[in-house]
Amino acid sequence: MGTSVQVTPLSGVFNENPLSYLVSIDGFNFLIDCGWNDHFDPSLLQPLSKVASTIDAVLLSHPDTLHLGALPYAMKQLGLSAPVFSTEPVYRLGLLTMYDQYLSRRQVSEFDLFTLDDIDSAFQSVTRLTYSQNYHLSGEGIVVAPHVAGHLLGGTVWKITKDGEDVIYAVDYNRRKEKHLNGTVLESFVRPAVLITDAYNALHNQPPRQQREMFQDAISKTLRAGGNVLLPVDSAGRVLELLLILEDYWAEHSLNYPIYFLTYVSSSTIDYVKSFLEWMGDSITKSFETSRDNAFLLKHVTLLINKSELDNAPDGPKLVLASMASLEAGFSHDIFVEWASDVKNLVLFTERGQFGTLARMLQADPPPKAVKVTMSRRVPLVGEELIAYEEEQTRLKKEEALKASLVKEEESKASLGPDNNLSGDPMVIDANNANASADVVEPHGGRYRDILIDGFVPPSTSVAPMFPFYENNSEWDDFGEVINPDDYIIKDEDMDQAAMHIGGDDGKLDEGSASLILDAKPSKVVSNELTVQVKCLLIFIDYEGRADGRSIKTILSHVAPLKLVLVHGSAEATEHLKQHCLKHVCPHVYTPQIEETIDVTSDLCAYKVQLSEKLMSNVLFKKLGDYEIAWVDAEVGKTENGMLSLLPISTPAPPHKSVLVGDLKMADLKPFLSSKGIQVEFAGGALRCGEYVTIRKVGPAGQKGGGSGTQQIVIEGPLCEDYYKIRAYLYSQFYLL
Amino acid sequence: MASVGQPPSLKRRDAPVSREGDQLIITPLGAGNEVGRSCVYMSYKGKTILFDCGIHPAYSGMAALPYFDEIDPSAIDVLLITHFHLDHAASLPYFLEKTTFKGRVFMTHATKAIYKLLLTDYVKVSKVSVEDMLFDEQDINRSMDKIEVLDFHQTVEVNGIKFWCYTAGHVLGAAMFMVDIAGVRVLYTGDYSREEDRHLRAAELPQFSPDICIIESTYGVQLHQPRNIREKRFTDVIHSTISQGGRVLIPAFALGRAQELLLILDEYWSNHPEFHNIPIYYASPLAKKCMAVYQTYILSMNERIRNQFANSNPFKFKHISPLNSIDDFSDVGPSVVMASPGGLQSGLSRQLFDIWCSDKKNACVIPGYVVEGTLAKTIISEPKEVTLMNGLTAPLNMQVHYISFSAHADYAQTSTFLKELMPPNIILVHGESHEMGRLKTKLMTELADCNTKIITPKNCQSVEMYFNSEKMAKTIGRLAEKTPEVGETVSGILVKKGFTYQIMAPDDLHIFSQLSTANITQRIT
Repeated sequence: MGTSVQVTPLSGVFNENPLSYLVSIDGFNFLIDCGWNDHFDPSLLQPLSKVASTIDAVLLSHPDTLHLGALPYAMKQLGLSAPVFSTEPVYRLGLLTMYDQYLSRRQVSEFDLFTLDDIDSAFQSVTRLTYSQNYHLSGEGIVVAPHVAGHLLGGTVWKITKDGEDVIYAVDYNRRKEKHLNGTVLESFVRPAVLITDAYNALHNQPPRQQREMFQDAISKTLRAGGNVLLPVDSAGRVLELLLILEDYWAEHSLNYPIYFLTYVSSSTIDYVKSFLEWMGDSITKSFETSRDNAFLLKHVTLLINKSELDNAPDGPKLVLASMASLEAGFSHDIFVEWASDVKNLVLFTERGQFGTLARMLQADPPPKAVKVTMSRRVPLVGEELIAYEEEQTRLKKEEALKASLVKEEESKASLGPDNNLSGDPMVIDANNANASADVVEPHGGRYRDILIDGFVPPSTSVAPMFPFYENNSEWDDFGEVINPDDYIIKDEDMDQAAMHIGGDDGKLDEGSASLILDAKPSKVVSNELTVQVKCLLIFIDYEGRADGRSIKTILSHVAPLKLVLVHGSAEATEHLKQHCLKHVCPHVYTPQIEETIDVTSDLCAYKVQLSEKLMSNVLFKKLGDYEIAWVDAEVGKTENGMLSLLPISTPAPPHKSVLVGDLKMADLKPFLSSKGIQVEFAGGALRCGEYVTIRKVGPAGQKGGGSGTQQIVIEGPLCEDYYKIRAYLYSQFYLL
Repeated sequence: MASVGQPPSLKRRDAPVSREGDQLIITPLGAGNEVGRSCVYMSYKGKTILFDCGIHPAYSGMAALPYFDEIDPSAIDVLLITHFHLDHAASLPYFLEKTTFKGRVFMTHATKAIYKLLLTDYVKVSKVSVEDMLFDEQDINRSMDKIEVLDFHQTVEVNGIKFWCYTAGHVLGAAMFMVDIAGVRVLYTGDYSREEDRHLRAAELPQFSPDICIIESTYGVQLHQPRNIREKRFTDVIHSTISQGGRVLIPAFALGRAQELLLILDEYWSNHPEFHNIPIYYASPLAKKCMAVYQTYILSMNERIRNQFANSNPFKFKHISPLNSIDDFSDVGPSVVMASPGGLQSGLSRQLFDIWCSDKKNACVIPGYVVEGTLAKTIISEPKEVTLMNGLTAPLNMQVHYISFSAHADYAQTSTFLKELMPPNIILVHGESHEMGRLKTKLMTELADCNTKIITPKNCQSVEMYFNSEKMAKTIGRLAEKTPEVGETVSGILVKKGFTYQIMAPDDLHIFSQLSTANITQRIT
């Protein structure tokens, strides 16, 4: 029997909820994707929480919230502790996306599901792979390999192989080559045992290429009329493509309206993206190789990381790309509220908003006239509130200290334990320091920028970095402090290590603590509900970069998996694609419900044999495209180490029905026969050759999977010279075994 | 009347596969018992691979090429280039444009980007007569279109040949290639270093042990000084020479190790404010152009640089200024000049050497491996006199220091690497023959109990080995519903794709492959 494969969706089936699937291969549990949505509703993760501790490895496919948003929370709260695998860009851009999410949330709410530290420590367990790298999971006989998916930078189609059987996970792939990305290589996989794919776009057909003109027209029209354009975008995904499109358009038409890219992490995003050229499309790498032009040295785009810079920008029409795409939080939310009531302005959506978000509401047809939004702001505490807060903090701190000292007595060694107890909330320790420091009126000074850039590479030891608070762990004995002689040996590496520390780590510590001061600055969130009149222009132009319904179907019928599992997509889309695939792709299509485990173990029988030298020396291969084929008759024997082996047959080979191998296309046969001087024409679905002979294909058009894959060809005619001649030509189209 | 199909064809028995199919041949076309013009030919099971395609820096024209006449370029399936150095990549435009080669060429992203800059510069700098020119700029540009890139660890398959590469240290983008043909693995290290330095990672240890390891032996049984001591000697020489009012010449190849030295110098100057009025020149417009490449492919560098990169670009030097030609250089006082070429054959480094060599206050630091037959090699032995470019002789009074920063493995690294890798066959290339001989003897004693074969072929000398690869087939589908007992017969279609074999029933052919079968019904009317 083949390798046992079970699939259990944990989220994201029959709807557009975040993606998260449990795939178990011979008992080894993969969690593929670990998504959340912009609402950060922990109840969505209920199914994951039940199985989190049994996961053996996590595979991430795309660097956005829907595919990896729940990773920090699951690691911190749900007991997920498996190694994580992703490509370098998914790791890096995913990290930035999560930072942006956190900072956007934190700004407007007491967001406490996870912290920046949780994000860092979750991403520390990521092993980074390159495309087409076969990574052997030690001891399991399982090989995982990421392949190009298109859609987002670093986006991955995962191939999991065991014993020669492939399980492929491909969601949100894109077939089209874009400015910065190549199309997916999904089509190069043929007949995998299992394909898990999404139905998200099954009912969507992209309009042909005119979208680019529409996009550009809409923008330039608004700007010329003196309006502002807002593009709600993701933090580090599709926005890259949009930036390149805008750059080109601006250069081509020498426009000089300012473009701003505003997220909490925009400058770091672009810095890193500049060094990811290896992961981008051919045209970008080519242009760099020949002229060293880095496409992401943006000439027309200004990177901003806080909104005051935008407010200080000169007046006049401008274009702003701001996160989040859902308009639920982040700068896009605030800008939308400011701009929505002016008819001159334009809000241009380039992707469908997540379900139940403001963006989705606005994309409805017709769009709502007015929407209710909550405006929240973080303000520093003043007056009595501040005093009350300080008192509370001092009291808490005392309590904590007491508790900690108790714990410390119990634990002999200073491990993570006491640290955690002590710094359950880093704010607690810092409260005094923060109060002592001058009032930071503006929460995002120039320093903030550095903090962000810097925070991304936390020293490996920083499980929970905190303000310089050094616990005195030294042990004492009768002779004084116990020392480690190694500390006093002059180290070989000192020379540059020292320099490195000055430049790198120390600076980091300072800024790291600065960020904590910011965090710890006593503040509160003030919210008020208001109704926004939506008078601005709302347009949706699809720049999602996903394969549309038509190309999904083409790809699926080309890949032709033996078993197909459909996930992620509305109920209608899933059902539609299922019916289509049952008819045209393969007879085994599964659409599991949440937490429903389906068994997609292939019913394939297989055994391995050794091909003996003697047998092979008599085999004559015929070449057919990539394949070489031959008929073998062999006798089963055993090798010394008990393997089955095939030996030449001792008795005369039993006769077998001859096999014609080849794919006959009537359209190809016609010119071939006419080149041989035979008059041919199509008549009533058959090919008339000469006067008497006809050739026709009968039976259903070959469906790839299941069904009868054998073509039935009929040659009909009276016995005559022509008949034999044409028959010979017909046979020559095949390989005879 | 209907008949289906035709009688089975007669089995021919006249084409037995001889043992030849299992013969693996490795022939160095260059770099066999020498350093320079790396090029190693390998063939197994009808698949042919060429590793590297360099020139010999001590020769010019056709004489610098590897022995391409020994092989049929049109038969080569894949050509793999490990890194951008001239002795590994510079005959590539010639091979691609002037021979019958029609296979595919692969190198890493960084190598390709620098390859173009470097060779264009090489064509401009090497002032040989037109008939001696192996290729021109157009050839280089054309070759760019044919070169394909791969990333570290990415597995590529061409005609059943599987290969992927590991980080090799040495220079930016340097790779070690692992090739897998029908289960036989060959590792070609190219130039590698197992020591992490200021910007590069150390060479990786491959996950699997290869059957054959083709390994460089540049440094033979020599041992490198620890890195901090080398750096200290280097900075001390410069410090004392400058303090005495002398000039320091560092002849270095434009790319690769030069960047490492610049990182050291820039840092030293930052820590020594008293030197801030002493200029450091880096005479290479080429290196300036390559900076964009160094800034982009940080993923190929080590964590240290990547961390620094987040703050500021470590390759933006504060104390080092570029120098375009000797005419822009005002030789008025102490200075440090790093100039190419590293062998002092010609060019700016030679011009400065000619001017400075007779003053004993001056110093020349040779920072890396120098090829036999170049002036740099000659002056290491400190002769009394040297021949200038104008043919006159002059006394050699300047101090000559040889402090090796070249990122090649030394004996300690090589032997540890091989002991961990445990390849049953080792082929030594890229080393002078006596160094190579000593290395062989020493490795033989060290690996005595492992039954390891160590071979040191000369150029064009073939090494033949036999690998009795077991062919395994997987019987699948209907044919495999029951695992047969000994003595039973199995009949079906044997399908070979690359080097994997499957046996299946005719009816299953379309399920497990992209091939389909047909029935032809004949109807007589």
